[in-house]
Amino acid sequence: MVECDFPECNTFGSVIRFALELEKGAAGVCEEFSREPNAAAAAETFKALAAAHKKRGELLEFTRQQKLNEMILEPIQDMERQKYLINTKTPKGANVKTAAKFAAAIEDTSAKFYSDSAKIAKMLMAEAARIMDKLGKENLANKAKLESL
Amino acid sequence: MALLSEVKKDYGKLKNYVNGEWIDSTSGKYIDIENPTTGASIGQVPMSSADETKAAIDAANEAWWAWRETPPITRARVFFKLKEIMEQNFEDIARIMVQEQGKTIDEARGETRRTIENVETAAGIPTLMMGYGLEDGGAEGIDEEAVISPLGVFAAVCPFNFPAMIPYWFWPYAVAAGNTYIIKPSSQVPVTQNYLTTLVEKAGFPPGVLNIVNGSHEVSDTLMEHPKVKGISFVGSTPVAKYIYKKSAENGKRVQAQGGAKNSLVVMPDAVLDRTISNMLASFYGCAGQRCLAGSNLVAIGNVAEPLLKSFVERSKKIKVGYGLDESVNMGPVISAKAKAKVLDYIDGAEKAGAKVLLDGRKIKVQGYEKGHFVGPTVIDGVTPDMKLAKEEVFGPVVGFLRMDSMDEALDFIHSSPFGNAASIYTQSGKLARDFRYRCQVGNVGINVGLVAAMAYFPFAGYKNSFFGDLHGQGQDAVKFFTDRKVVITRWF
Repeated sequence: MVECDFPECNTFGSVIRFALELEKGAAGVCEEFSREPNAAAAAETFKALAAAHKKRGELLEFTRQQKLNEMILEPIQDMERQKYLINTKTPKGANVKTAAKFAAAIEDTSAKFYSDSAKIAKMLMAEAARIMDKLGKENLANKAKLESL
Repeated sequence: MALLSEVKKDYGKLKNYVNGEWIDSTSGKYIDIENPTTGASIGQVPMSSADETKAAIDAANEAWWAWRETPPITRARVFFKLKEIMEQNFEDIARIMVQEQGKTIDEARGETRRTIENVETAAGIPTLMMGYGLEDGGAEGIDEEAVISPLGVFAAVCPFNFPAMIPYWFWPYAVAAGNTYIIKPSSQVPVTQNYLTTLVEKAGFPPGVLNIVNGSHEVSDTLMEHPKVKGISFVGSTPVAKYIYKKSAENGKRVQAQGGAKNSLVVMPDAVLDRTISNMLASFYGCAGQRCLAGSNLVAIGNVAEPLLKSFVERSKKIKVGYGLDESVNMGPVISAKAKAKVLDYIDGAEKAGAKVLLDGRKIKVQGYEKGHFVGPTVIDGVTPDMKLAKEEVFGPVVGFLRMDSMDEALDFIHSSPFGNAASIYTQSGKLARDFRYRCQVGNVGINVGLVAAMAYFPFAGYKNSFFGDLHGQGQDAVKFFTDRKVVITRWF
């Protein structure tokens, strides 16, 4: 199980932290499935997804460092943390179908998170919004890939 | 959510940085540096003596000529290196700031970004300090040109509210232009600047080019009196800005002295309320109201008052107050117990004068941080232009709500203030916005922007009692402040 610590989403920094936790959770879950003997047929797919989520984490770190502008640091009061929590406790002995369904649920929740945060970021910081939007679209593509397994 | 880790619990006894070396102060006088959130001491800062300050001035003066002879492009390269090192240590800079100043981590990251942006802008010095010339400008066969030259040693006396950024409004431009420099950080928040100077050291500036002297009035007075110091930059309160301006000018120095503020945010009936309120929350409560650009008076025009006030109070209640190292915190404490007492005094005074405290931050308790100097978001209705709260700088998260009938009345009110730092209007009308921008006599005007903080490549300063001097901080103004024009007329026989 991957331990994640999801904050409230009421500042730019906490939204990025939430996103980083999502990526950490998704990467960890995919790594665990890539090592699951019963899901060995999809091991390469899970490995690739784990690597992609780690890379997305780096992009988020970069965004936080480079795009933050204190002039537009408004409090965020419209994002409910509860809506975006993911389950990272992977089922033991999962086969490909079960693992794919589990990971797809994370992609789906993440896509919702990025879609909602992109809408908020768009009002504050268009550059960050574009990145959120891109990440959300990738989540949906990942979900489709997982559902096809 | 777990707190982000502190870079260190205790920074020990800070040293001065003079002539490329970290040296212990010989004054024997130290004061504690307090974390305003926890009340804990995080180190000690020396109160350096006049002699120690003079030694730094001598070192800067010694270093000057060789640095002045270093080509501008070579000087710029050291700033590129510094930028790279600052990026690598970005998070540590921000976290130290939270620890010693109390601002939130987002605010500290934003400040770190702006600090770096000043380094980036100053690195354009080969272009920024180019002179100009004219063939046959003197007469036929006589060419005339103006070359831009550095002057020598400059110094800055810095405030507590932006421990990283404010010294960087000045010194990168001064040093990039070929001068040498001395920073006196605020004794309340010296750790950030001392840490940044360890990065400056790594970047490869020659010894003596940048020096740090920690301390208080004795250091400032010595800098202002010493004949080898060519100019002083200052940011702080208006009374001190006036003192610095006068004393430095008496001693024949260039001065740019930024003082206090009392900024009004004017909301017209056609403003987009949801976005307006969101933006204003950042202006009033960002850095716990301890910005010279913070909103202080919220002026509602006409029938927008009631819906605006109701919604503003509701959303102010949601501001999460706590330790800035918790990324979900919206607002930290004010800098000290003394600062808190002053803010509370303003709230008490407004109440006694007949205003109504709708949201009261006086008795806020932040669990786990009982020794922190917290004042919660405070909204006071029924404030009138004659009240002290409407006129004086509070430097805390306190919103004075005023009702007026027209933009003209709001402008008269803004112009009645002895300050002239910033003012903003929220409207969807281009005509009103244009009128406001044209007529408003302040140094920084916001149109649907409540925090009018000039970027590194624009000048920053206010009008009236908010600024004493002529050339502002940052950008091209800074380069002009730190250089002089020399006219050369040439004829060859």
